[in-house]
Amino acid sequence: MDYMLLRHRDIPKLNQIDVFMKEDGFEGLKKALKMDTADVTNEVKAAGLRGRGGAGFPAGVKWSFMDNNNWPHYVVANADESEPGTFKDREIMESNPFQFLEGIAIASYAVGANAAYIYLRGEFWEVAHFLDEKIEEMEKAGFLGENIQGTDCSLKIYTHLGAGAYICGEETALLESMEGKRGQPRVRPPFPPSQGLYNKPTVVNNVETLTSVPYIINNGAYGYRKFGTEKSPGTKIFSLSGNVNKPGNYELPLGTTFRELIFTHGGGIPDGKSIKAIMPAGASSSMVVANDEALDTPLTYEDVPNVGGDLGSASVIVVDDSVSLDWLIRKTMDFFHHESCGKCTPCREGSYWMKKLTERIHSGEGTEEDVALLKDVATQMQGTTLCALGEFSTMAVVSSIERFPEDFA
Amino acid sequence: MLVELLRGLKTTFKMMIAKPVTIQYPEVKRPVRPRYKGRHELKRYDNGLEKCIGCALCAAACPADAIFVEASENTDEERYSPGDRYASTYEINFLRCIYCGYCEDACPTEAIVLEHEYDVNFTSRFEAIFPKEKLIVPVPSNGKTTPQKTEPGTFDRSIPEMKDPMDY
Amino acid sequence: MTKEVTLTIDGKEVSVPAGSLVVDAAKKAGIDIPVFCYHPKMEPVGMCRQCLVEIGRPAFDRATGEAVLEEDGSPKINWGWKLETSCTNPVSEGMVVKTTSEKAVKGQNDMLEFQLSSHPLDCPVCDKGGECLLQDLTLAHGSAESRFNFNEKRHSEKHFPLGDLIWLDRERCIQCGRCVRFQDEVVGEAVLGFEERGSKTQIMTTSDPGFDSVFAGNTTDICPVGALTTAQFRFGARPWEMEATASVCGECPVGCNTVLNTRRDAKSGGKIIVKRVMPRQNEAVNETWICDKGRFADFSAEGRLLAPKPEEWTEAVAKAAEKLSAAKGDAVFLVDGSLSNEELFNMKSLADEVGGKALCYSEVGGGALTTKSGSYSKSGAGDAILVIGGDLYAEAPIFWLRAKQAADRGAKLIVATEAETRLDAFATTVVRDVRKGLEIAEEVFANAENTVVLYSGDDALAQFCAALNPTSLIGVWAEANTQGAWEMGYEAISDLSALKGKTVYVAGKDALVASAVEAADFVVAQTVSMTEASEKAGVTLASQIAAEAEGTFTSAERRVQRFFSAVQPIGDALPGYVITAQVAEKMGVTLDIDAEDVFSAFSDLNYADLAKVSAEESLLIGGTCYENKQGLGVTLPAKA
Repeated sequence: MDYMLLRHRDIPKLNQIDVFMKEDGFEGLKKALKMDTADVTNEVKAAGLRGRGGAGFPAGVKWSFMDNNNWPHYVVANADESEPGTFKDREIMESNPFQFLEGIAIASYAVGANAAYIYLRGEFWEVAHFLDEKIEEMEKAGFLGENIQGTDCSLKIYTHLGAGAYICGEETALLESMEGKRGQPRVRPPFPPSQGLYNKPTVVNNVETLTSVPYIINNGAYGYRKFGTEKSPGTKIFSLSGNVNKPGNYELPLGTTFRELIFTHGGGIPDGKSIKAIMPAGASSSMVVANDEALDTPLTYEDVPNVGGDLGSASVIVVDDSVSLDWLIRKTMDFFHHESCGKCTPCREGSYWMKKLTERIHSGEGTEEDVALLKDVATQMQGTTLCALGEFSTMAVVSSIERFPEDFA
Repeated sequence: MLVELLRGLKTTFKMMIAKPVTIQYPEVKRPVRPRYKGRHELKRYDNGLEKCIGCALCAAACPADAIFVEASENTDEERYSPGDRYASTYEINFLRCIYCGYCEDACPTEAIVLEHEYDVNFTSRFEAIFPKEKLIVPVPSNGKTTPQKTEPGTFDRSIPEMKDPMDY
Repeated sequence: MTKEVTLTIDGKEVSVPAGSLVVDAAKKAGIDIPVFCYHPKMEPVGMCRQCLVEIGRPAFDRATGEAVLEEDGSPKINWGWKLETSCTNPVSEGMVVKTTSEKAVKGQNDMLEFQLSSHPLDCPVCDKGGECLLQDLTLAHGSAESRFNFNEKRHSEKHFPLGDLIWLDRERCIQCGRCVRFQDEVVGEAVLGFEERGSKTQIMTTSDPGFDSVFAGNTTDICPVGALTTAQFRFGARPWEMEATASVCGECPVGCNTVLNTRRDAKSGGKIIVKRVMPRQNEAVNETWICDKGRFADFSAEGRLLAPKPEEWTEAVAKAAEKLSAAKGDAVFLVDGSLSNEELFNMKSLADEVGGKALCYSEVGGGALTTKSGSYSKSGAGDAILVIGGDLYAEAPIFWLRAKQAADRGAKLIVATEAETRLDAFATTVVRDVRKGLEIAEEVFANAENTVVLYSGDDALAQFCAALNPTSLIGVWAEANTQGAWEMGYEAISDLSALKGKTVYVAGKDALVASAVEAADFVVAQTVSMTEASEKAGVTLASQIAAEAEGTFTSAERRVQRFFSAVQPIGDALPGYVITAQVAEKMGVTLDIDAEDVFSAFSDLNYADLAKVSAEESLLIGGTCYENKQGLGVTLPAKA
């Protein structure tokens, strides 16, 4: 298929400005600048582009929530890619950066922002330097800076590095980190479109979401909807990892089934083992039993919940039958305990408790009561935390115990 | 008639030759039962350190307000108990005490225990107030007396690690 | 008029001003929702998740805006799918809240279980035991047994000194953030912060020297557990063992309402002594805060005068009376602001009767001009405050805090001092020149509603400040009750060399007595401490301190407040007004010897007026009791 996002796989050296100018030439941005800002937002709304960072919130709707009585507006690109199993944004930023920057520019135009920021995780300092170069090149080519393309629209994009915290991928924790404070989520409401960076309206979108925007403007909502399903239109980059022969990023239309992704594109399970479970959203997902029903489920925001999971950021981790799930959830609990910000009690204490319990269960010292206690503690945390980290850290635990009890005997 | 006389006096004669139940106190003392609640004692650990941490829960539990506790901080130069805190003043007023044992139940470190001494006596109301010196047990054979000089870092926890009372 | 919103909590209907939080509305309805991180004087953060409740909002049709109704006509309620924190949710019309439903109670119990999971079993040795919010809530919401494995509890540093005055126990800390937010929001000196993340989060201090704030002690009140404790009170006594007596702080002229906790002490030979000072709530004066100067004030008996000189009271009084009568109209009656109103009045009465001079020593001038002061605790936008001449932070910390809070609320704050002060950061205008400050103030005051001048300088400065015609002119005196002396008509004196050759009856602090002894001919010293000066004085009369006697203080804002006797008098010391009355008796003047009578003699008020309390001001806030049952005091009306 023709790539929408990972176009560098078809067109080599797309991250060089001259190549990009020849291939694409920022047509999307040029077209958007001639449109009314409300029309740009409506086009994205009509296209039904859903947030690719994990929440799946319609991007156009988020843009339309911006408070027009409070200025200035900001756009922040969330490049804090820390979810275990997710590695799609890095490929975009390294290999197709101009489409990404173009997407930011279009979004900034639509919401009236004159300053946009790319928040990258601290470990991506090389990517940040690279993006700085690309931003300079784009400015020189006349698509950023003052009076872009002769209009009275100005935009400066800045990169900003985090310092190694998964929690800063949460949008309000990200904004706190950018403001120089401790990276801990804020109380919501109010949400960033009404009070975001420095309490001004801010749009926070994932890298992949923004990279999809130029295609929508170029080909219209109708063109975008040619791919995917009605409720989940467009293409998505699936980061396939785990026990598969060909792990990596695969851009496929939404609606592709698990079977197609894992076996056709991913090359199936190595060493002749059989598939046992799937984690469709990286470490923050429920453990989906890999039976035929699940494998034939299309990968969309609306269908995956039918088999007890969430599409999330579509970082599909494949688990084969050589893996005992008590080992796996010990790993995920270790991760969440380390990354918990410590602001709210259930996540801070609960993740520590669950980490100790999973350690004990995995090392063999756990008893049946410990397993029941682990499930209880995880259930206690659900619905009480300040942000989604606490909520999702429990999904893998609860679902594994429920669906694979033999691994915890 | 003689038979009736003798039958009537049977009990009298039986008692004449029976052993009296009188115990010759104070030369002979009847042993008390294990859980007898007599005078209090403040216990020590085997190494000589006092068990009492000066928490005043015994004073709070006492229904007769018989106990007065003041706490102070341990230093490594002058250590009375393992942990942060010890009882620098500990007094029990035996005119108020009703020997109920609530203080023993309340104590978190099993420091205050009602022992078997029942012949507590004094000649004035002032003497009825027993200070800590009169209540604390002597130092055990393999321990040192308090205050002790200890190595910094050995007794870092605020409360000493306790054996579960159910472990008996 | 703020809009009122009606909502239903646990079946009770309650109306509160719009913008209130659900947890406050519940308190008004008499329902106590358990909280840890919430404090009514700080912004809510929703961190501890303890106040979880079920909240339902009336459903509205998106298209028409009409309320959706059930079959029986009652509004349809949309319940949230998960529990919400009542401290971060403002009320809305028609909201329905359930705080005791099974789901809500389970949520609250679960949160408490999480808090207790790594909390150390320190209750027997922890100073907070008995007034600990965690203990109280565990009794209400905790389970009898812990499901957490004891050996897996986290361990952290147990005695970490945050500066000289406060100890931090990192294991007990439940990371509620009240201390950090207090320093940040209320005081404006962010010297505390969090470091590390996740379960390793701990409190640390960012200043050097550590915890560099004069309000540090307040964090030990608001800490819901025993993580922050004062070094002074460490292991002092258990809260239930102490008696509480209402008092007024005597360290500076703010007049913060305090509570003196006393207990019999073995170390001082069985005497009842003051173990610690806690704040008492008075919204107009000090809210619920006191500064460290007052909190850690010295009440020890060291260096106290135990008997008069000559040793017998009758002798001492007779000798004093003899000398003063001999001096006739030349006698000088010298006081300073450390005396209570009752003591001051008896002195003045005696001075008036014998025709002697009644002088009050004060380095800050302008006493006669401070006639219409009033509280500025509600100042905000549209008001103006001028702080001129001195360092408010060092002289009267709570005045500093109130000025800072007024500036936060939008008042124009002008700081005109020669040296840098800690108030500069919050001021609207800062000038390093006093004259310039007065000029700017004149301009600003012209457009302001309520204007306040806080000055610390000589008579000339006071004159200039009075010329600005502010609503309140407040002199930042050195002592607690200097204002009381001005109210009674004492003359001011700042240069004590004028005492040369005179017979002086001096009552006040050590420094004053020493200066009097140096300068004057014959000195009758009514004082509390045994010093070189008191030895050299002709007659020494042993006086009681405020904690031992009854009396009243008049604060710099002209608020009269009463304090009560907390401890027994030491040695043979007598209350100051009784001593003066005895001396007066020997000189043929009759004065009252009962504090209440003395008060009624000079004031239009009586003690009952001072004892009025407000129901809203007796709050148990966050585990610490600030209840004020003894009286809020009364502000004197402006003098014509």
